[in-house]
Amino acid sequence: MKKKKTTAKVEFSPYINSVHRWGRISSVLTILLLISVPLAICVHFNVWPAANDVFNGLLKVIPIFWTSAVLEVITYSPMLGTGATYLSFVTGNITNLKLPCVLNAKESAKVKSDSEEAEVISTIATATSSIVTTVIIAVGVVALSPFLKYLTDENSVVKPAFDYVLPALFGALGAGYFIKHWKISIFPIVLAVVILIFAPTIGTGTLVPICVIGSILAAFVMFKLGWLDSKEERKAKKAKK
Amino acid sequence: MDFKVSPFMYGLGAIVVVFVIAQSLFFLIKAWKHGKEIGMSTNDLRNSVVSSALFTIAPALAILATVVTLAGSLGLVLPWIRLTVIGNITYEVTAAQGALDSFNIAFGTDITSQEAFAAVAWVMTIGSILPLFLVPVFLKKIQAKIGQVTKSSSDSRLPDILSAATFIGLISAFIGNALAGKATYKELEDGTRISTSIGAGIMSVAVLLTSIIVFIVLQKICTKFKLNKLETFIMPISMFVAMGVAILLTHVGGGNLVTLEWRPVA
Repeated sequence: MKKKKTTAKVEFSPYINSVHRWGRISSVLTILLLISVPLAICVHFNVWPAANDVFNGLLKVIPIFWTSAVLEVITYSPMLGTGATYLSFVTGNITNLKLPCVLNAKESAKVKSDSEEAEVISTIATATSSIVTTVIIAVGVVALSPFLKYLTDENSVVKPAFDYVLPALFGALGAGYFIKHWKISIFPIVLAVVILIFAPTIGTGTLVPICVIGSILAAFVMFKLGWLDSKEERKAKKAKK
Repeated sequence: MDFKVSPFMYGLGAIVVVFVIAQSLFFLIKAWKHGKEIGMSTNDLRNSVVSSALFTIAPALAILATVVTLAGSLGLVLPWIRLTVIGNITYEVTAAQGALDSFNIAFGTDITSQEAFAAVAWVMTIGSILPLFLVPVFLKKIQAKIGQVTKSSSDSRLPDILSAATFIGLISAFIGNALAGKATYKELEDGTRISTSIGAGIMSVAVLLTSIIVFIVLQKICTKFKLNKLETFIMPISMFVAMGVAILLTHVGGGNLVTLEWRPVA
């Protein structure tokens, strides 16, 4: 008899289904809100730029940024979880803020990846981060606007801190992972450095998916070869043989 | 009055801010309630809020700095709106410059044409809107596919290993940039440059190592003395100390050597 190929069907919990439903509603509302901003500017000032001028501008951004948008959705959504994905893609700054924030919260809460607890923690982390960012920017713009330029001026005392916020952030974030998973950390770091040596101006948007795919493949191969087994697992395997 | 910072524009900004906060609060409360339903402790949930809020302060200030960078040309309000919804500096500068090219206006100069300003707002908006269509349509399908792969795996360790490998891949890209990246700039028509990323050098490596070392030391202290409450703060403290080292090295570190980049931009 011919064997029927079976695929495990994935059932989503009622909570995840509900997050999807509300996520879709909020995405539609965000699209309407986003479009209403330039529309309101046109109506209020009674100026309507020629479609050709807008189209010429779009030609310079769409090929790069729409491609990276597709890659970002595929790469980041599995790491973020359902609620966090809907929220992150609204508020942006995913790689430099939302994703690190989610990873930090999951590590602190010691929840298992793909668990319902992880979904809750990542949503809470992203929502908190979005609120704090929005408030900081709003307060900064409204209350501190006369002083802002002194903070970010080339000669400002605190300027170097802002310049190096990413190494500070990813160093702390990486430390926890590298200690726990040092074997699978070596390859992607070497891969990133080698790529940057030969293609120094490669954008982070391109480098991240390459490193993520490289890291997954290398970890999979190491797992299959038994390189990630603990001492006990190795002993047990030897005993079986 | 400059139309770019008129009460009307501030009103638009306020609407966007209220929307984003309301949406985030909605999902936060929903997740919190579900967390309680599945037996998570209030303490764990509260810790996630506190640690995420602390973690966000420094990067949010860096985003605020981006708003100021863009404000020279676009006023404070449009960059504020753009960076509250979706935006990031690389994209916003490219989009604004692309739109202004049609009007022969150099990015960096104060825009006085309302038409050009409206065109910039349209380009920034349409150019960044795609993920808001992709996520609702494809997210469930992506998750179903990943769920199938995870379910069909016979070894329960594999999903955890692949999940860790995914995060490490992401982190590695940024660690690689701190070790071997080259600074990138957006060159404006008037010859000035807007920095879009820093170059690797003594400073980036010093900040990276400080952050890693402080994290490891604090984690060891927490484990040894069972300081569970401090664990929430390890990540933000490590970040702030590393950023402090950047300030310290710049001002007392002795000039050129500290700011040395492996591959400086000519």
